[in-house]
Amino acid sequence: MSKQEQMRYEPVEASPVKQFFVHMLTRDITLGDAILDLLDNCVDGILRSKKRIAGKRPYAGFKAEVEFKRDSFMISDNCGGIPWSLHRYAFKMGRSSDHPKETPGTVGVYGIGMKRAIFKMGKDCLISTKSGRHEYNVHITPEWIANEKEWMIPVSASDGGKKVEGTTILVGALNPDIADRFSADANDFKAELERMVSTHYAFIIDKGFEVRINGDLVKPRPTRLIFAERPRDKRAAAIQPYIFRTRTKDGVDVFLAVGFTRPIPSEDEAIAEREEKRYSSMDAGWTVVCNDRAVLYCDRSELTGWGEAGVPRYHFQFTAISGVVEFRADDASKLPTTTTKRGIDASSRLYLQVKNKMREGMGIFINYTNKWKAHADESRQHIGKGTSLSFEEVRTKANTLAFKATKASVPKGEQYRPDLPMPKKVEPRKRRISFVKDAGDVRLVAEHLFKDDNTDPSIVGETCFDLVLRETKD
Amino acid sequence: MRQPPYHLRPNKAVDRLLLIEAIRHLGKSTELDQYTYYGLGGPYLEDFRLLHESFPELGLVSIEGNRQIFKRQEFHVPCGKIQLQNTDFSSFLRQYDSRDRKSIFWLDYTGLGYSQFDDFMSLLEKVAAGSIVKVTLRAQPCDYFQQERLDDFKRMFEVFLPNSSGVLPRSREDFAKLVQDMLQIAAQRALPGGCGMAYQPLSSFYYKDRTGIFTLTGIVCERANLRNVRASFSNWQYVSLNWARPKQIDVPFLSTKERLHLQKHLPCRLDSGESLVRALGYYVDDNRRKSIKKMRQYAHFYRHFPYFMKAIP
Repeated sequence: MSKQEQMRYEPVEASPVKQFFVHMLTRDITLGDAILDLLDNCVDGILRSKKRIAGKRPYAGFKAEVEFKRDSFMISDNCGGIPWSLHRYAFKMGRSSDHPKETPGTVGVYGIGMKRAIFKMGKDCLISTKSGRHEYNVHITPEWIANEKEWMIPVSASDGGKKVEGTTILVGALNPDIADRFSADANDFKAELERMVSTHYAFIIDKGFEVRINGDLVKPRPTRLIFAERPRDKRAAAIQPYIFRTRTKDGVDVFLAVGFTRPIPSEDEAIAEREEKRYSSMDAGWTVVCNDRAVLYCDRSELTGWGEAGVPRYHFQFTAISGVVEFRADDASKLPTTTTKRGIDASSRLYLQVKNKMREGMGIFINYTNKWKAHADESRQHIGKGTSLSFEEVRTKANTLAFKATKASVPKGEQYRPDLPMPKKVEPRKRRISFVKDAGDVRLVAEHLFKDDNTDPSIVGETCFDLVLRETKD
Repeated sequence: MRQPPYHLRPNKAVDRLLLIEAIRHLGKSTELDQYTYYGLGGPYLEDFRLLHESFPELGLVSIEGNRQIFKRQEFHVPCGKIQLQNTDFSSFLRQYDSRDRKSIFWLDYTGLGYSQFDDFMSLLEKVAAGSIVKVTLRAQPCDYFQQERLDDFKRMFEVFLPNSSGVLPRSREDFAKLVQDMLQIAAQRALPGGCGMAYQPLSSFYYKDRTGIFTLTGIVCERANLRNVRASFSNWQYVSLNWARPKQIDVPFLSTKERLHLQKHLPCRLDSGESLVRALGYYVDDNRRKSIKKMRQYAHFYRHFPYFMKAIP
């Protein structure tokens, strides 16, 4: 084609499409996570209004109430409201570059959480907020959602009904699958949401924040690690967590602790669990906390170091091992979280470095478990000497421990490696024998030995061994 | 091996006969010959005997994992129609295919464990619409008074617990309600709203013969058909359609002579407990209050309370 014949191309349009936010972005997040996003906004509101978060219960007096019914969802808080100074940003789909500098400790980064949560649930939403002398309503209607050309949302002054500074979000015209979750599956969903809040918000609730779901107060379920004081003879071993802490150059504080939450299971218990699932869930594994909010709870996958770089895959034998790693930064964009804030950015350089320490720490407890699993009763005595400490208590305790600098490894920081008790002989005094035989043959031998073909196969096997042992000794 | 004398447990006997009544109500709106009953009948197959006597058209399948009990079942088999299977229930369930045939299942357990909830959920996912699923579980709060047992319970059932309080009720009634709430969550998890099917409770009882027991009977049906199902059971005296608190079965031990004496006073129009205590002229329990309570129970369930007689073979 000659220059003269060349077509004139018009610029192509790359403007956002509203339906993308309404129908597509909402698929990336579960309903539970979407509601946690709304709770995150409540906590960010506290941080904005309170300015300083210090002391043991900095969130005391602040609360959020979640209420869901067949035809509506509501979350209401007293956490400061949405300042009028932020109205140009708070309702935008995404965060613009001219967004004012955020208050230290907040987790909102992308400016999408509240909108995504609303669109996830329904098509009609009234946001009422009171902040300072401003009290206003923002009404997102089904018509507004359907209109691709209209991007402005009218704001109206509210009638002054709110007594405290805070925000209420009321969602109606629920999407059919959400209406099902709030009605036909209501009990299951409430239990699931309560479990999510009690674990992901354990730290914040422990620090005074109050969350109610359909009127019921949520109790926190923090990870607690066993800490046994070492006897006066400082060389004596004791069950204590491994702790690592550091502060990165760009201002992220990292505090990591891993240890035992309970006695280790015996080999028999591990086998029984393998044969028949006994527990509906395991509160074992890694919890990752960013600015007080758990972004990952009891993870037992490669994401947290299990099953890679010399660490075995998680299985029931390791059910007593738990760890918490906390990242804290004034600038939330430095935290290794995903946009949903309920996941870890696995490619984050900081997280990959810290994961080295997570693996190093859990290796100590995996080793202990492997060494003691044949003597679980004795191990129970070691673990029984300790007390269960919350993460905050472990942090306080850490100030009394002798940390060593880790200059040669990445990340640099300081760590406390506990000296755990080890069996005197590395070789176990007892060994497990297990084998599989034809069920008919087992019954036949059982009938021969016990005149009862229904005798427990393990007793049949053990008796066979004892007979041969006696013969050998004779 | 020792087995409790299941056939002599009076409250259990009432529960068994209430299942018969539930099936009778079911039979008003559907043909029972389309149904097969699957049960864990124990050595005496008592439930099978009763079901066959009441509904000879029902297909009958017994599932028993223990070889010795299975042999005893072969000995006690009450009719030629029963198909006895020597397999544990989980293995049976993996093979089970409803082929759109309706079933009546009684998961009659004596314990309370995660695997039983797992079985319950798997079963709800597999049965055809119109099938009845009854589940019986141990519900003994004192099992969990020790902290270690309590912690174990919470780990075992975490995903089914209705709230995060971490406190287990100490009364039998409240504990039975908790087990029912857990089963409701399990049922909603197995049959979520979007799947178009639901587990509709029909009756819910707790009782104690030696140990505390909770038992829930429900029907798996299409959500669109829920209103009709509820309507067809709504006039049943023992119905419990809304996951309300379980009702108690606690029938008193009365002699045959006492029962024959009370016959003419039943059913009672006014306060049954008061009337029957007056009719006997003495207390059957420690005091008046307890006796009235027991007699109310008797008036409520007397039609389902079997006579236990001494027989000399």
